[in-house]
Amino acid sequence: MRSRLAPYLFVSPAMVLLVTFGIVPILVAAVISTTNMNISAFASWDNVDFVGADNYVALFADADFWQALGNTGLFAIVGVPAIVLVSLFVAILLNRSQSRFFRALRAFYFIPAITAIVAISLIWGYLYNTQFGLLNYGLSLVGIEQVQWLSDPWLSKFSVALVAVWRGTGLNIIIFLAALQSVPKEYLEAAALDGAGEARTTFSVTIPLLRFAIFFVAVTTTIAWLQFFDEPFVLTDGGPLGATTSVSIFLYKEGFRLNQFGYASAGSIVLFVIIAVITLIQLRLRRADDEY
Amino acid sequence: MKRAATTGLAALTAVGVALALGACSSPTETEADGPLTVWVMGDSGANFEALVADSGIDVEVVAVPWDAIDEKLTTAVASGSGPDILQIGLSKLATFAEAGALLPLDDVIGDYPNLDPANFPAGVSGAATAVGGEIVSVPWTSDTRVLFTRTDILAENGIDAPPATWDELREAAKTLAARGDGQYGYYIPQWDAPLPIEMTWSMGGEVVDADGNVDFDTPEFQDAVDLYTGLYADGSVPTNGDFDQTQGFVSGVAPMLVSGPYLGRGIADSAPELDGKWQASPLPAGDGGSISLFAGSNLGVWFNTDQKTTALELLDYVSAPEQQLAWYDLTGELPTASAALEDSELNSDPNVKVYTDQLATAKVLPIVAGWDGIVGTELLNALNAIVLTGADRDASLEAFYAKIDGLAVK
Repeated sequence: MRSRLAPYLFVSPAMVLLVTFGIVPILVAAVISTTNMNISAFASWDNVDFVGADNYVALFADADFWQALGNTGLFAIVGVPAIVLVSLFVAILLNRSQSRFFRALRAFYFIPAITAIVAISLIWGYLYNTQFGLLNYGLSLVGIEQVQWLSDPWLSKFSVALVAVWRGTGLNIIIFLAALQSVPKEYLEAAALDGAGEARTTFSVTIPLLRFAIFFVAVTTTIAWLQFFDEPFVLTDGGPLGATTSVSIFLYKEGFRLNQFGYASAGSIVLFVIIAVITLIQLRLRRADDEY
Repeated sequence: MKRAATTGLAALTAVGVALALGACSSPTETEADGPLTVWVMGDSGANFEALVADSGIDVEVVAVPWDAIDEKLTTAVASGSGPDILQIGLSKLATFAEAGALLPLDDVIGDYPNLDPANFPAGVSGAATAVGGEIVSVPWTSDTRVLFTRTDILAENGIDAPPATWDELREAAKTLAARGDGQYGYYIPQWDAPLPIEMTWSMGGEVVDADGNVDFDTPEFQDAVDLYTGLYADGSVPTNGDFDQTQGFVSGVAPMLVSGPYLGRGIADSAPELDGKWQASPLPAGDGGSISLFAGSNLGVWFNTDQKTTALELLDYVSAPEQQLAWYDLTGELPTASAALEDSELNSDPNVKVYTDQLATAKVLPIVAGWDGIVGTELLNALNAIVLTGADRDASLEAFYAKIDGLAVK
C-alpha cells in the first residue's frame, strides 16, 4: 500500500518544476497571444482586450516575420549539417589516440562552448570590424580589399553562422567521443582482419554504430538552431536591415523593445508549433529505422 | 500508513502555500528608510554619487546601459519593484508614462522651488513634457546635435570654415572623400534616427501635423531624403555598419560629423593631441534655418516608491543651477536650468557656446509612446534600405508611411 505513493513522491519535485517553468508559461503565452497586451497593461488591466486570432493574422501578414522565418530556416538547413559533420569529423580524429596531447585538444575544442557569449561577441566583433579588425588587416596584407563581414546582408549571415558553428561543435564533439568509445573493439578488429582500411572501417563500421548519437545530436542541434539567438543578437543585433534576424530575435524585439506582448506571444506559439512538428518528424523517421 | 502519508503531504502543501503567500509584502504607509535607489543611464553612476555626496541624502546608484533600458523597464514594471528615482531619456518618456511607471508630480511640484517649470526652457519643461496632461518628470540634462569638423583637414583641402548650410556640407564632403581610397567626407551613423528629422526641420518642415498626427509625407521630408541619399550616392559616407565614429574622427577618415557634446568630451579625453584642430559649429542650415534636436533626459519618481518625500528632496537638490553646473563639470552633459545655461563660465568655452546657442532654437522629438522603436526604427530601415541595398525609394517610403500610420501625440 505504502509503495503506491512512493513513486509519485519521488517524481513530484521534477514534475512541479517542469510544469511550473515549462508547461504553465506555454499556456500563459497561448492565452496572452489572444489579447492585445502591451506595456500599458501594467498601468491597468483594463487596457488589455481580447482580440482572438488577430495577432496571428497580423503575424503572417508581417514581412519582417517572414524574413525572420526565412533566416531561421536558412540557418538551420546550413548550420545543423555543418555542426553534425564537423563534430563527427573532429571526434573521429580525436579518438585516434588517448595521449595527453589529444586529451588537451578535447578541452581546447570544448572551451568555445563554455565561454561567456558576451566575451565571445566582443572579441569576434573586433575581429570582424571592417576598419580596424584583424581579419581585414590580414586580408589587406595579401592585397584583398576590405570585406564588410557584419554589414553585408549575405556575408553577415555567414559570419554569424561561423561563430555559432565554432561554439556549437564543442558539446557535440564530447558526445560523439563518448559514443565512439562505446563502439565494441571486436567489430573493429573483425574489420581489420577482413582487410578493411581505415577509411572503410570508419564509414562502414563505426559510423553506422553511431546512429543513435548522430540522431541525438541532430535533434538537439535542430531544436537549438531553430531558436538561434545569442550570436546574431550580440554580433549584429539582428543584422543589417534584418538580414540576421532569427525568429527568436524578432520575438525578443517585439516583446521587450516594443512591448507588444500579445503579438510576441503569438509568434512564440508559432515557433513552438514549428519546432514540435519538426522534432516529431525526426522522431518518426528514426522509428522507421528501428535497428540498434 | 497511506492515510498518514497523504495527511503529511497535504500539511506540507498547506505550509508551502502559506509561506509563499506570506512572502508577498504589502505596501507600507510610512516612509521607508535606507538609501534611495537611482537609475542612472550610461556609465555616469560614480559621477552621480559624487554629485549628491554633500546633499545629506543616501543614494544607491544602479548604472543602466542605454540599450538595456527597455528590458529593464519592462521587468521592473511587471514585477512592481523599481528604483525610487530614474533617469528617463526624452524619447522614452511617453513609453514610461504609458506603462504607469511614473508618479504624477503636479500636486507636489509647487513645494520645491528648484522644480518650478519656469526655471527651465519652455521647450522641455512643464506642459512640453507632460504626458496626458500630467507632469511626470523634471528636466535634468540637455543634449543637442551640432557639427564637428577637423578644421586642420578641411584647411588642407581648401575649405576655410565649417560648412554653414547642407549644400555646402555636401560639396565639402565630396572634396574630402576625393582624398583617396578609404577616406570619407562625412559620417552618417546608421543608428541615428533623429538626423533625417533634424534635416527636415532645417528645411522648414515638421514631422507632426496641426492635429498632432505623425506625418512624414511632406515636401520638406522629401528634400531631407534627397540630401541623405545624395550624400551616400556621392560616395562621401562609409557604408559599413560597424564604423566607429570617434576613431573615424580622430584618425581623419571621417572628418565631419553631426553629434552631441558627448563626442566633444570623448575627443578631448581620448585625443588631447588634436586640441585646436577641431571645433564644434552650428548644425548646417537649410531653408528653414539651423534647427537641431533638443534631446536629453529628465528625472522621474517611480510610481510606487516608498520614499516619496526624500526622492523629491533629491530632485530639488540636483535641479539647482549650481548642481547642474557641477554635473556638467563631472560628465560633460549640459544642464537644463536656464540660469545654468546662461552661466558665463560655462559659455567661456567656445564649443560649449555653440551647444547652448543651438539649444535656444532646438526642438524635442514628438512625445509619442514607442517613438524610438516604431518611428525611429522604421525610418532608419526605410532610409538604409534605399542607400545600402538600393531599394526603390518611393516603395520604401510608402512602406514607412504605412507603418507609422495612426501615431499621434497624446
